[in-house]
Amino acid sequence: MDDRWYHSRRQFLRAMAASGALAASDLAWWEAPLLSPRRAWGAAPVRFQFSVPEPKRTVLVESLAQRFNQSQKDFEVKVEFVPQAQARQKLVAALASGNPPDCCQVWDNWVGEFEGMGVVEDLTARVNDWKHYGDTLPIAWQTVTVKGRILSFPWVVTNDAVYWRVDRAREYGVKPPKDDWTWDDFLALTRAFTKPENNQYGFGMRGQGTWAVLYATEFMYANGAQVLKDGKVAINSREAVEALDWYLALIRKHKVVPPSVPTDGWRQIVEGFGRGITNTYIHNSGSCEEQKGFVGPQNFATVPLPVGPAKKRASFYFSETLTAFKNAKNREGAWRFMTWLMDDEPNFMYSRTLGLLPARKSIADRPEFAKDPNLAGFVSSFPFSIVSPYLAYAGWGGKLDSEGVPLFQQAMVGRLAAKDCLDRFAEVLAKNMA
Amino acid sequence: MREATVAVPLARPLLSRRARQRLSGYVYLAPVVVVLGGTIVFPILKAMHMSLYNHVLIRPQEYRFIGLGNYARLLRDETFWLTLWNSLVWVFGSVCVQFLGGFAAALLLHQSFRGRGFVRTVTLLPWIVPGVVVALVWEWLYQPNYGVINDLLFRLGWLKERVAWLSDPALAMPAVIAANVWRGVPFFAIMLLAGLQAIPDEQYEAARVDGASVTQRFVHITLPMLRPIIIVATATRVIWTFNYADLIFVMTSGGPANATQITSTYTLLMAYSNLDFGYAATLSVVLLVIMLVFTVLYLRITRGIESVT
Repeated sequence: MDDRWYHSRRQFLRAMAASGALAASDLAWWEAPLLSPRRAWGAAPVRFQFSVPEPKRTVLVESLAQRFNQSQKDFEVKVEFVPQAQARQKLVAALASGNPPDCCQVWDNWVGEFEGMGVVEDLTARVNDWKHYGDTLPIAWQTVTVKGRILSFPWVVTNDAVYWRVDRAREYGVKPPKDDWTWDDFLALTRAFTKPENNQYGFGMRGQGTWAVLYATEFMYANGAQVLKDGKVAINSREAVEALDWYLALIRKHKVVPPSVPTDGWRQIVEGFGRGITNTYIHNSGSCEEQKGFVGPQNFATVPLPVGPAKKRASFYFSETLTAFKNAKNREGAWRFMTWLMDDEPNFMYSRTLGLLPARKSIADRPEFAKDPNLAGFVSSFPFSIVSPYLAYAGWGGKLDSEGVPLFQQAMVGRLAAKDCLDRFAEVLAKNMA
Repeated sequence: MREATVAVPLARPLLSRRARQRLSGYVYLAPVVVVLGGTIVFPILKAMHMSLYNHVLIRPQEYRFIGLGNYARLLRDETFWLTLWNSLVWVFGSVCVQFLGGFAAALLLHQSFRGRGFVRTVTLLPWIVPGVVVALVWEWLYQPNYGVINDLLFRLGWLKERVAWLSDPALAMPAVIAANVWRGVPFFAIMLLAGLQAIPDEQYEAARVDGASVTQRFVHITLPMLRPIIIVATATRVIWTFNYADLIFVMTSGGPANATQITSTYTLLMAYSNLDFGYAATLSVVLLVIMLVFTVLYLRITRGIESVT
């Protein structure tokens, strides 16, 4: 056998050790490495449900739980990982059957649903006395406040911005977008970025999932439209129809989007940009770390959504929350774990590792977030970020996906005019204002 | 002194010999009845029960008996009728082509040739691969921007623009049917091959001696002899395909614009997105009824299997 391909057992063990060290370096921030499991026999268990959109989070959250377990002796957190696609229904089923986890990570658009079920622990009184209450962004509290009651901790926050390829702009001699750019600038940029002969498209529009509706709605807001006006559904207003028409023209008239748009979900728009098929897309900061790996941090940047004809714009604000439940067996343990996760280092590391923005001002002001050029578009979007208008009614949650998305898809493929699409969408919203 | 032995009559059994003989059969059947009852009959009854209630998981306070309210809603639900039509296209499009492809494959595999064992094994592969994996593989093949299908067609010069196979409402259904055909052909091939192997060679020899052509032998021997298998295989496949949501769910999630939304994926959507278990149960019950009616009609039209066997 060729000696070059022969590995001794020692070499093999070294390689294994090196791989282990590399893996551990991912979590180098860990002050006390996980050399041994926690040994607190009398600790009361705390069930924490966490939904996993990507494997990286599993390691991170498991580490956080271990860290918490090592930091005190009263409670032992056990993480229950659930695939993100099933997280909502599993949690709702657990709540309906009276066997919820003690606390869990949920998106703020579910909190309203849970509140409607009457199962969420009201944290208002305790949160007002919590040491970091004033340090948390007021808008972050808004995302978890239902009927005047604070129901969750805003763990991390997200708003939307436009990702764009810096290297391609340079290559094609395209003027880089500025923070105050307009719809016309956006169209010009996406046109210049569209090179079908090279299999490249200007804009990775989303056509599947709830955010297909949300991104289109952000453009409607830039044209002065609103989802609700004086307590009534106004999503089919003239301004909204005009904006949707303009948005759909990106597909049908200007052809600056890939042909797969009507079925492109989150994974497709992120990967389309990462693989160099699209040169811009709208998303929150959640895919920033991924793009650093895909295209390199120097090759992309983020910029706020463009200003619309009404000289307005909006970026919808969401938060990933920590929520506790009334029927939980260990409510005190849940509170202790949630407040610990909101503390400086755990919160910093969770946000930093995943590329999400912390809800706490003092952490968000750290240079890792405030000075990260790849996050600049999100930070610049804070002044006009608003809580998603679709959080207004719990009944809208599932309907956006099951009825809203097919309507927008029909508009995208030209089967429905913008006006008809929004009229029918308005009917769906009006019927489910509960 | 001599001891007298008194004959003691045997205790009378609780059940007579005849009754015990009759009961023993039921006792042997009991485990099956319990298992089938627990896994099939109970869920069906439970679904029927749920379909009579307004049971939206996120609105427990609105849980109440509404009688046939969900069924009335279903009749007015345009999307339901669309999904029913889509289901018909999906089922018959898939099963017809699968049957023809499977039959052709079975006839080929029945011939003697070098490497037949290998070819038979390879033919089985699509059936062995899990449905979700098939869906993911085909989703990538169809990917308009970097999928193999578009790339090949481009290289051959047959395409000028990239085709969005799964994003164009006119193409999405044929595209998912093609993926399902690929997966289902081996099923028919295996079933029909087994049937072909069971036909005695003497019948073909006798027909050949009588001067029957290849077509005549196929029509008058092969087809009638395969009839029971064809009936069972197609009926089974129709039912499976009608309820088979994995492929569509992964490839298109029923989109674009409900173009591939079949009733089973719509049921999933109602249950797990809207968390409307009452309405989802109603859809399930209707699916069950449709399949029952189909099976009865199908067996009646094809005069059942018994008469042939």
